[in-house]
Amino acid sequence: MIAVQARRSHRAERIAVFGLRVAAGFVILAMLALLGYLAFEGTKTFYVDKFPLWQFLFSPDFAIDSGKPGAAVFIAGTLAVTLCAILIGGPFGIAVGVFLAEIAPLRMTQILKPAIEVMVGIPSVVYGWLGLTLLVPIIRTHTSSPSGFGLAAAGIVLAIMILPTVITLSEDAFRSLPGALKEGSLALGATRWQTITRVLLPSASSGLAVALILGIARAIGETLAIQMVIGNSAQFANGLFAPTAALTTEIVTDMPGATEGSLLEHVLFSMAFLLLLIAMVLIVLVRFALRKRS
Amino acid sequence: MEMTAVPPRGKVKATGSVRARKVTDNVATVVLWAMACSIIVMLAAFIVYMIYLGGSALSLSFLFGVPKETTAGGGIGPEIYNSFYILLMTLAFTVPIAVAAGVYLQEYARPGTFRNVVQFSAESLATVPSVVMGLFGLLVFVYLFKWKFTALGGALTLTLLNLPALMRVTQEALSSVPDTLREASMGLGGTKWQTITRVVLPSAIGRMTTGVVLIAGRIFGETAALIFTAGLSVPFNNPYDLNPMRPAETLAVHLWYTHSESIVPDVDRIGNGSALVLLLMVLLFNVSARVLGRQLTKRFTGRYS
Amino acid sequence: MKKNAALAALLLGLSVVASSTPVFADTNITIAGSTALLPLVKDAAAAYQQAHGDVKISVSGGGSGTGINQVAAKAIDIGDSDIQAPTHPELKDNRVAVIGFAIVTHPATGVKSLTKKQLQDIFSAKVTNWKEVGGADQKIVVINRPRSSGTRAVFTKTVMGSVAISESGLTEDATGTVVSVVKQTPGAISYAALSGTRGGGLNELSVDGVAPTDDNIITGKYPVWSYEHMFTNGPATGEISRFIAFVQSNSDLVRKDGFILIRDMKVNETDR
Repeated sequence: MIAVQARRSHRAERIAVFGLRVAAGFVILAMLALLGYLAFEGTKTFYVDKFPLWQFLFSPDFAIDSGKPGAAVFIAGTLAVTLCAILIGGPFGIAVGVFLAEIAPLRMTQILKPAIEVMVGIPSVVYGWLGLTLLVPIIRTHTSSPSGFGLAAAGIVLAIMILPTVITLSEDAFRSLPGALKEGSLALGATRWQTITRVLLPSASSGLAVALILGIARAIGETLAIQMVIGNSAQFANGLFAPTAALTTEIVTDMPGATEGSLLEHVLFSMAFLLLLIAMVLIVLVRFALRKRS
Repeated sequence: MEMTAVPPRGKVKATGSVRARKVTDNVATVVLWAMACSIIVMLAAFIVYMIYLGGSALSLSFLFGVPKETTAGGGIGPEIYNSFYILLMTLAFTVPIAVAAGVYLQEYARPGTFRNVVQFSAESLATVPSVVMGLFGLLVFVYLFKWKFTALGGALTLTLLNLPALMRVTQEALSSVPDTLREASMGLGGTKWQTITRVVLPSAIGRMTTGVVLIAGRIFGETAALIFTAGLSVPFNNPYDLNPMRPAETLAVHLWYTHSESIVPDVDRIGNGSALVLLLMVLLFNVSARVLGRQLTKRFTGRYS
Repeated sequence: MKKNAALAALLLGLSVVASSTPVFADTNITIAGSTALLPLVKDAAAAYQQAHGDVKISVSGGGSGTGINQVAAKAIDIGDSDIQAPTHPELKDNRVAVIGFAIVTHPATGVKSLTKKQLQDIFSAKVTNWKEVGGADQKIVVINRPRSSGTRAVFTKTVMGSVAISESGLTEDATGTVVSVVKQTPGAISYAALSGTRGGGLNELSVDGVAPTDDNIITGKYPVWSYEHMFTNGPATGEISRFIAFVQSNSDLVRKDGFILIRDMKVNETDR
């Protein structure tokens, strides 16, 4: 009786575990489907419309009607806003990460951590709306920019949006350092600031690299918040306040009106595929940094 | 996480006078405090500013009314309904798959190719930009399956987008359960399956719930992926339709639509009101995540965590 | 290996079930496209549904290209457009009204009328300050619509001719955004359907001295106008064709929303 029950439950367990395995396999399948489908659609610019890859990547001429599918303007736009975001949000985020790991008393942590979680939760469009109603008018009235839309507005909005990622991950990086490191330094008479800058920062460098890379990944993929403030001009930004466009914003601006099978649609899918590849490269970099750490 | 202490690269040799170093240290501390406080101040300022802008818009007729397309006085009732509708559908798809996959990876999978590939896929999927996932949803649900813009297509796209985060939540919750608990259960003659379902999962449920509710908050505000899959409209006649095969504009999408496409004269009122409601919902999700997580942990394990 | 095969079969099965889910009856009408035509279609849909309780109509914008694109892909039932769809011969054109487009500026620019040549210079970024065309000393902020926009296409065809629009301007998604950004931005200029500019607060320019009034459009003196189309994939049938006929015949709604009845037009442009 007991043996039968045990055997039955053993079989039930095997089926259950198989179910779990299927669920895990679904993730692989989803990623493969995404990659395969976007690769198929995203390379049509090259094998259906016969444009060379270099023209897509490096030509600044984006004039679909006259057969010029250069996406360099958008690639540069993505790089520029990401650079702005990480130059502001990176150091700030790491500083707050250090603060949380080394300085903040419990009371402060209990306020700051939920605040950061709320920041993660605020939808992209709300950041965009804040940028539109708060930041753009400020830039318009206080700088030479006549409209207020442009690189600076997008960069600042993005910097705020990547802060939670950078803060949380750099705090983790500092917390995972062995305590002996800090104690040794302090025992040798170094001040807390010296310990942070000369001992903890270098030791946590690969963890901080992960924080920055994932911050960059977030910035590159962000769409609506910056689409609402960047100006969406298919031109290189010739200054901090000039309107420009990024890969994601160009997709949202022109995709709804792109005819199925048209060159415009193919180029936009190529841009989406490029974004996917960038995301995967960043993940490989993260893995590399983590391996170096352990 | 094992760490070998990296020898400090900078000079540890004392430089400058003791006093100068103390001053630098104090200044640095003050600066770091100021930076941390500025985040709280900024967030508080956002919330106050949004309440100032949108507070006057909040009324019963706004929260429960239907949107107007060409005249002033529209509401956001159907949009709020759609946000919850798509959220619940997404969770119904995501939670079982993510929990199952998380349990498998954390409790069953041995280190090896399969586990590595799953992990790598999950990490890649987690960094896929929302707009790219939206295009994938457009290709599959709108073009390939010919569903047109539907709540179901939107929910399935969001499932793919949020699966990795929920898997990680599950894995982290499981790994926080002490091994002694597992050993005790196995030692008492429980099978692995019994140990997981009766001991490990109940201990982890509080943390898992916190994670799920926080992610639910993010699903609630998702926009870019839904523009191309769930569409920009609600049916006039029956805005509270339960049918999943109809277009379903959510509140976050409505905020974007209001900014970019709408021609109603009170765009600002509707935008500010919608933004405020979204912000309040995020706060609500955050608070309830904490409360729920604590309650469940207490009920299932008799302890606080 | 076997397990993976089973997994693949399961997922394949699921997707087959999913793709064969019946699309609900044709009393569900989905419409998208031109934001210029949007007000008329939205109002008409609301009125139509009041009379026909069993019909559900959902209407959204997205731009003319979106409308043509999605109706061709059968993602929607009716695609609204300001322009024709020469690349899609399978689409059936249903003209419903005529709409004029205004060249709009921020009120502080101090300019009331421009010639076509001046407009071409402004939109190709040859002229970048309002004082060069007789206005205030204020930088010009050009705001365009996306490439797929019908409004942009009409503006290009009737005003720009062969002169290319400069990419240096801002791009905003739809009529609504254009109107709100022009209102807020000193020095801004753009173009928008008259159905979308009626909220006021904008300066509507005369082109070559002709103001964008209904009379000037009907007699063909004002050049920037076009037919509004509701495309169906193949001839419209059933409730869809009845709805289109309702839009075409409802002269009160057409006039109230700032459109012009096709039968009122004294000129006929066949190639728009």
